[in-house]
Amino acid sequence: MERCDVLVVGGGLVGCAAAWHLAAAGASVTLVDAADFGLGASGQNAGSLHFQIERRFLEQGDALARQAEQTIALSRMAIEDWRGLEAALDADLHVVMDGGFMVAETAEQVTMLERKVEREIREGLRMRLLDGDEARRIAPYLSPSILAAGYAADEGHADSRAIVPAYAAAARRAGARLIGRTRLDRLQRVGGGFEAGAGDLSIRAGQLLVAAGAWTPHICAMANLHAPLYPVALLMNVTERSRTLEVPHLVQHVGRRLSMKQTGAGNILIGGGWPSRLARTADGGFDPGVRPELIGDSLAGNLRAAIDTVPAVAGLNLIRSWTGVTAVSADQLPVVGEVPRLPGFWIAGGGSAFTLGPTFARLVAQAIGGTPAPELDFVSPARFEHLNSFMG
Amino acid sequence: MRIERDTERGRAVTLSVNGQSLAAFEGEMLATAMLHHAAAFRRDTRGLERGLFCNMGSCSECMVTLLPSGRRARACLTPVSDGMEVRTDG
Ligand SMILES: Cc1cc2nc3c(=O)[nH]c(=O)nc-3n(C[C@H](O)[C@H](O)[C@H](O)COP(=O)(O)OP(=O)(O)OC[C@H]3O[C@@H](n4cnc5c(N)ncnc54)[C@H](O)[C@@H]3O)c2cc1C
Ligand code: FES
Repeated sequence: MERCDVLVVGGGLVGCAAAWHLAAAGASVTLVDAADFGLGASGQNAGSLHFQIERRFLEQGDALARQAEQTIALSRMAIEDWRGLEAALDADLHVVMDGGFMVAETAEQVTMLERKVEREIREGLRMRLLDGDEARRIAPYLSPSILAAGYAADEGHADSRAIVPAYAAAARRAGARLIGRTRLDRLQRVGGGFEAGAGDLSIRAGQLLVAAGAWTPHICAMANLHAPLYPVALLMNVTERSRTLEVPHLVQHVGRRLSMKQTGAGNILIGGGWPSRLARTADGGFDPGVRPELIGDSLAGNLRAAIDTVPAVAGLNLIRSWTGVTAVSADQLPVVGEVPRLPGFWIAGGGSAFTLGPTFARLVAQAIGGTPAPELDFVSPARFEHLNSFMG
Repeated sequence: MRIERDTERGRAVTLSVNGQSLAAFEGEMLATAMLHHAAAFRRDTRGLERGLFCNMGSCSECMVTLLPSGRRARACLTPVSDGMEVRTDG
């Protein structure tokens, strides 16, 4: 039986980042991942660093948009975290934070954008509302059909394939024990701590952090808990490298699903939340471990939105499309914190955890270490405690 | 590098890659002709020369520009033709 202060389940961005912070603060940390580090959502995502209120919050009406305002505080911390991350991890993560646009094409979208930017400025985000011509002066690649754009000076992107290996290396340097290809298959409360196992491996841990992305509900079920995170399957596309088209910013759309950016090598990444189809287990449940099926209409819709926004991409070849699975919570906000009915049992997942993951992993590690992180109160699993009130 | 004995080839053709003329035979792919002449496919962000990768149409590492159309194509799937003009910078 191995022993550690904290067992982290899941070696994506969130798990590896938390393991690093915990180990750096002096805790003995073991992390297990069922596959290899960063092969989940953390290695499949679009790499957007988006700090404006996301379109997915706006399309669900005012109540959700107000809730999203609370994430702005988290976004402001994430901006600082991302600015310092390459130095802190001593790694090249291709971090570019040269600004991002959220564009509008219709009068209705412009109104939506105005209300959004107003909220954001009120919450202290560095934002500007530009008309189409002002936006095109900074970003000449934008279509003449763009009527307005919210411009966030700190937005940008980074290489999602670089971040997890960098966090994992830093965690190891700090003394954490990271074990890959080891799937947690049992978990129980023992005394004041937890006993967990994966095949032959048995671990006794004082506290436990579940950072298993879309698999989080599965891990929580082993501890007789519900976790309100749901797997969603998305689509990503990438064009050939281009030197003739230069898109140095993050580009998003307020009324359509779209995110665009250019990698250091010149490829244009195109995503923005278009669905793909989740795989199923033999008995009909969703299986986040199997690559989702590409949906042709999503591909066409995503590329159409890209071309309408940045017409020059029409001249580039699409070289690859892929699908990935991430986790969304019942209210779309991240779920990060201790489960009230099971002290020592922590969850960190959901939301846009490429952008916000470095921040909430840092804060949850701080809280696990005993220093409260009130910044996380609004994303605490406590808001879903009613789901667990019937779990004996 | 070409097999010279007991083989039949198409007509000899000449094409130009970045202004340099290359000899090839009809029926060969552009990537083959470029490899035969050791022409680099591109330079990467560190300035190093890069070649192709899969030679079967999946990776898109061999993208070139066909002139005069400017069309981008995968060299490993593009048959050579006489007088063909190609640039490797995109
Ligand atoms: C296509 C796509 C595009 C996205 N674009 C963006 C974006 O542009 N910006 C943004 O902010 N976010 C984006 N996201 C969301 C973001 O990628 C995720 O929120 C984030 O990566 C989640 O990280 P994680 O560490 O929580 O989960 P994951 O990276 O999914 O890691 C979970 C880990 O748990 C492991 N695991 C599962 N079961 C077990 C078990 N039983 N035992 C041990 N380990 C286990 C898995 O192997 C996996 O490595 C995108 C997601 C997708 C899919
Ligand atoms: S070498 Fe891979 S597509 Fe041509």
